[in-house]
Amino acid sequence: MSADRDVVVIGGGHNGLITAFYLARAGLKPVVLEARSIVGGMAVTEELCPGFRCPTLAHAGGPIRAEIVRDMALEQHGLRMTQPSVRMTAISPGGEAIAIYDDPARTAQQLAARSQRDANSFTHFQVVLGRLGNVFRHLAASTPPEIDSPSKDDLLRGIATGRMVRRLGRQDMHRLLRWAPMPIADLMDEWFENPLLKATIAARAIFGCSAGPRSPSTANLLLLRCADDPNVVGPSAFAVGGAGALTQAMAKAVVAAGCTIRTNAEVAGIDVEDGRVKGVHLTNGEEIAARTVVSNADPVRTLLSLLDPVNLSPSFLQRVQQYRSKGVVAKLNLALDGLPTFGALEQSKVDGDAYSGRIHIGPSMNYIERAFDASKYGDFSPEPYLEVMLPTVTDPSLAPAGKHILSIYAQFAPYKLRTGTWDTRAAELAECIVSTLAKYAPDLPNHIIHQQVITPADIETTYGATGGHIFHGELTIDQSFTMRPLLGWARYRTPIPGLYMCGSGTHPGSGLTGASGANAAREILKDLR
Amino acid sequence: MSNRPASQKYDVIVIGGGHNGLVNAAYLGRAGKRTIVLERRHVLGGAAVTEEIFPGFKFSVCSYVVSLLRPEIIRDLDLPRHGLEILPLDGTFTPMPNGDYLWRVNDHAKTRQEIARHSRVDAEAYEEFGKAMLQMCKFVKPILAMTPPDPTTLNPRDLIKLLFLGRRFQGLSSDDKYNQVQLMTMSAVDYLDQWFETDVLKATMSASGIIGTFLGIRSPGTAYVLLHHYMGEIDGAFRAWGFARGGTGAISNAIADAAREAGVEIRTRAGIARILVNKGTAVGVVLENGDEIYGNVVSSSVDPHLTFLKMLEPDQLPDEFLSGVKRYKFRGSSAKVNFALDALPNFSCLPGPGAHLRGAISISPSVDYMERAYDDAKYGEYSKRPYIDMVIPSLTDPSVAPPGKHVMSCFVQYAPYHLSSSNWDEKKEAFGDMVVQTLSEYAPNFTNLVIGRQVVTPLDLEREWGLTEGNIFQGELSLEQLFFLRPVPGWANYRTPIKNLYMCGSATHPGGGIMGAPGRLAATEILKDWKA
Repeated sequence: MSADRDVVVIGGGHNGLITAFYLARAGLKPVVLEARSIVGGMAVTEELCPGFRCPTLAHAGGPIRAEIVRDMALEQHGLRMTQPSVRMTAISPGGEAIAIYDDPARTAQQLAARSQRDANSFTHFQVVLGRLGNVFRHLAASTPPEIDSPSKDDLLRGIATGRMVRRLGRQDMHRLLRWAPMPIADLMDEWFENPLLKATIAARAIFGCSAGPRSPSTANLLLLRCADDPNVVGPSAFAVGGAGALTQAMAKAVVAAGCTIRTNAEVAGIDVEDGRVKGVHLTNGEEIAARTVVSNADPVRTLLSLLDPVNLSPSFLQRVQQYRSKGVVAKLNLALDGLPTFGALEQSKVDGDAYSGRIHIGPSMNYIERAFDASKYGDFSPEPYLEVMLPTVTDPSLAPAGKHILSIYAQFAPYKLRTGTWDTRAAELAECIVSTLAKYAPDLPNHIIHQQVITPADIETTYGATGGHIFHGELTIDQSFTMRPLLGWARYRTPIPGLYMCGSGTHPGSGLTGASGANAAREILKDLR
Repeated sequence: MSNRPASQKYDVIVIGGGHNGLVNAAYLGRAGKRTIVLERRHVLGGAAVTEEIFPGFKFSVCSYVVSLLRPEIIRDLDLPRHGLEILPLDGTFTPMPNGDYLWRVNDHAKTRQEIARHSRVDAEAYEEFGKAMLQMCKFVKPILAMTPPDPTTLNPRDLIKLLFLGRRFQGLSSDDKYNQVQLMTMSAVDYLDQWFETDVLKATMSASGIIGTFLGIRSPGTAYVLLHHYMGEIDGAFRAWGFARGGTGAISNAIADAAREAGVEIRTRAGIARILVNKGTAVGVVLENGDEIYGNVVSSSVDPHLTFLKMLEPDQLPDEFLSGVKRYKFRGSSAKVNFALDALPNFSCLPGPGAHLRGAISISPSVDYMERAYDDAKYGEYSKRPYIDMVIPSLTDPSVAPPGKHVMSCFVQYAPYHLSSSNWDEKKEAFGDMVVQTLSEYAPNFTNLVIGRQVVTPLDLEREWGLTEGNIFQGELSLEQLFFLRPVPGWANYRTPIKNLYMCGSATHPGGGIMGAPGRLAATEILKDWKA
C-alpha cells in the first residue's frame, strides 16, 4: 500500500503528461502510472533493431500547442524541433511529384507550372483555411458547453465564439456551415483540378479514420486539423531524436514540476466507493488511494474495463458500448542499409530536400477510396494509402552512418479482419505495404535489414487503445466537440465524481496537439477549487 | 418589346407544372392572385405523373408512392374532393438469397413476430426504435413547415426562428437530444447498428436513407434521411405509405383541379426559353415558341440549374450566387424500370400470390449488398446488383392494368448519371436486362412474365422531365444542401438575387419527394413580400 495521492493519472501518453504537469503547477502532487517501461504513449522512440532507433508510431505530428511548449519549457528540457522546408511530397507511379512547402507561396509557384488555376486556388484556399482554422483553434482550446443546462461561462464562451464567427463575414460563415458536412473529395473538386494535389490534401481529412474521401463530413476533419496548423498537409515538425524526444522532454518537465512518474505500473482497475472515486489498483495488486483519478486511456477502456460497470447506469453503459473506435491504421517500420531511390523524387527535381519531409502515396481520389472500400468488408487494402517518412534524413543519429529508417503509416487495415486474424496476417500486410511502396522506389526491398509491423491488434495490446484506434475513437461529427466522447459528457468529467478523462477520446481529440490534456487539467482544477 | 399580339399580364407566372408548381399556384390563386402555370410537357405533374406507356397499362412513370404529402396541403386544397384517394401500401417484403425473407407489415404484433424469427432482441428493439423515431419526427415536423432562417444574418425574423429551434432542442429529453444529434450526423448503418443485430433488417431499413442520394448506407448523414422517409404521414398516421388511385399522376391532377378552381390558368406544351428581367427585376417569361408572358412575379419550380443557368444570363446574377448554383450538386443516382406483366411474380422464398406482394418489395438482402451497390456507382458504373424498391400497384388499384395483368414499378439505385466508360443511350437496355436478371434471382418466373418494359435512366429524367443530371429531388439531399443551405447558402428563403423571381421546387427546403412543402412555403413568402 503506497501513500495516498491527491491525483492519479492513468497512462503516461502526451495528454496524461500534460494534464499531470498543469495539475502539479497548481500545487497538486500527481502520480503518473504508465503500464509500459517508457512513457510517451504513441509518441515514443524505441530501438527497432541494434543501432536503429525509430519513432514507433507517431513520426511527425502535432504541433503541440505553443502555449503548452512554453508552459512546460520543453526546450529547456531538451526538445529540439526541426521543420523541413518540404512538408510533404506527393508522388505518382508515373513519376509526377508535387511538393507542399512550408511556405504556401512556394507551393503555389510550383503548382503554377502545371496549372495557373490551381496555383491561384491554392493561395486562396490556404488563406481561407487559415481563417476558418482560427475558429477551430478557439473551439479546440475551449471546453465544450454543457448541453442540458448551459452555465454562465458556457454562454459567455458561446458569445465569444459567435463574435469570432461573425467577424469571418458572411461568405466564410457560409463556407463554415457548408463545408463541415461535406465529403473532402467534393470540396477538393470545387477548388482544384490536379488529381494528385486533390488526393494529397484529402488524405489529411481521412488519416486515421474509418472514412474515404467520399465520406460526408470528412471536410470537417480537415478544418479541425487546421486548428493547429493550417498548412493543407499539416505539420512535418520533427523532434530531433524522434517523437519520443518530445514526450521525454515532457516527462522531465512533469517531474520538475513535482509529479512522480511510475513506469511498469499497469492499472488494473479504478476503485469506487459510495459512488465516488477512491483510487486505483495495479495489476500487481498494489492499491493507490486518490481523491482524483484522471484517465489518459480511451473512453471505452476507462469506462468499460477499468471501471466496474455496476457503477454506471445502463443507458450510459450502452452509449459507451456504441462509441466507435475500430482502428484502420497499421504501421510498418523498416531498418534500411541505404537510402531507397524514389523515382518521382529523382526525376522531378523538387526544389528543396524532398526526402526530409513526409511522402504521400495515394495518387488519386479513387485510389484512396478503393483502399477504404476493402476495409468496409473486413480486409486490408490491396493497395494501401501510405504516409512515409525517413526520419534519419533529418536526424542521422537515429541509425548507423549511411543507414536509414523508413517509417510508414498504412491505411486501411481494419481492426477486425473477416478472414484470419492479425496474428496470422501481419506478415502478409507488411509484404503488401512493401510491394506497394516498391512501385515508387523499386530498390526498396533490397535495402531492408529489419522490419517491424504494428497492426491495429498490436496498437490495442501494446498501447491500450481499444480497437487499435490511434485517435481513441472515430472523429466523425457525432463523436466530436460536445459529443466527444458522448453527448453531455464532453467536459472531461464522467458520471463518477472524481474520475476524469484527458485523452484523445475527449475534445478536440485530434492528434499530437496536447489540447485534450490541457483542457482537462483546467476543468479538474475548477472542480478542486 | 415584341410586336407579337400575344402579350399577357399576370400577377404570378409559375414555371413548371410539377406538383410543387401546382401547389404554389393553387395557394397563390386562392389568395386572389391571377396566376398562370406553364408546363413544357404535354401532361402535368412533372415527375408525379401517370402515363399509359403500353395500351391498358398505366405507369406511375417516375415517382410511385406517396407518404410525405403535407396534410395541411391536402386539407387546404381539399384534395379528396378533387379526386385524390390514397390507397394503403402495407408492408415491406425483403426476399433473401438464402431462401429466407423478412416481411414487415403495419400490424406491429405481426412484425414483431416476424422479426423475432430472425432475432428476439431485435423484436424488442424494434418497438423502442419506433417510439424514438416518432419523437424525432415530432421534433423535425415543424422544421418542414418553416422557411429556413439564415444563421449568418442578424435579421430579427431569422434570429427568432433560430431561437425557436434552439429552445425546441433544449426542450427535448436527454435521450431524445442524443437520438436527434446522432440522426443528424451518423450513417444509417452506424445508427441502426446501435439498435439491431439482424443484417437484413438493417439493410432494408437503411435503404430509405440513401434514396435519391449519391451516398451509401455507411455514409455519414444518411441516418437523417432515414427519418425523412419515416416522416410520411397520411391522415396524421406516421409512417404510412400509399398509392394514389389511378397512379401518382392522380395527385398532380387533383392539385391542378384545385388550382383551376381557385382561378389558376394552366397551360401545357408551354416550355420557357428565358426569364425576362428588367433592371434586376423579373417581369415575365419568353416561351420556346417566342410568346412573351408578363407577370409581377415569376415563381420557378424547375431546378436552379435550369432557372439560373439556362433561363437567365450569367451577367444578371451576382458572382457569388452564380458559383453557388454551379456548385450545387445534382448527381442523379437512380433509375426507374416499369414493367407490364402477364401475371404476378413468384418469389422462391415465399411462393404464390399473397399479401406480401401488395406492399413494397425490397431487394436489399444485406448491408454489404447495399454498400457494394454504392461502390460500383462511386467509380461511375451502375450497380452490378442494385438496390431495388418495387411495388405492384395493380394489386391494390386494378384500374391501372387490364384484367388479370399487372404493372410493376421498380426504383433502382445506383444508376449514376455520369458513367465512366459509356453513356446511358448505349447502356439503357443492358441496364433493364440487369434489373430483370436481378429480380429473377429471387422470382425465377419473372423473365417470362414481362410483356412490356420501360427503362427511365437518369439521362431520360433530365431530357424528358428537366431534372438536371437526373436527380429525382432536384439536387442531392446531403447535409450541406439541406435547410438553410438549400439550394445556395443565404438564399434558402425561396427568394433569389433577382427581385420578384422566386424558387418553389424541390431544390428548396425541405426538398424532394411528393411533399408539396416547397410550393406552399414559397407561396407564403411571395404573399408576404406582396403585402410589404
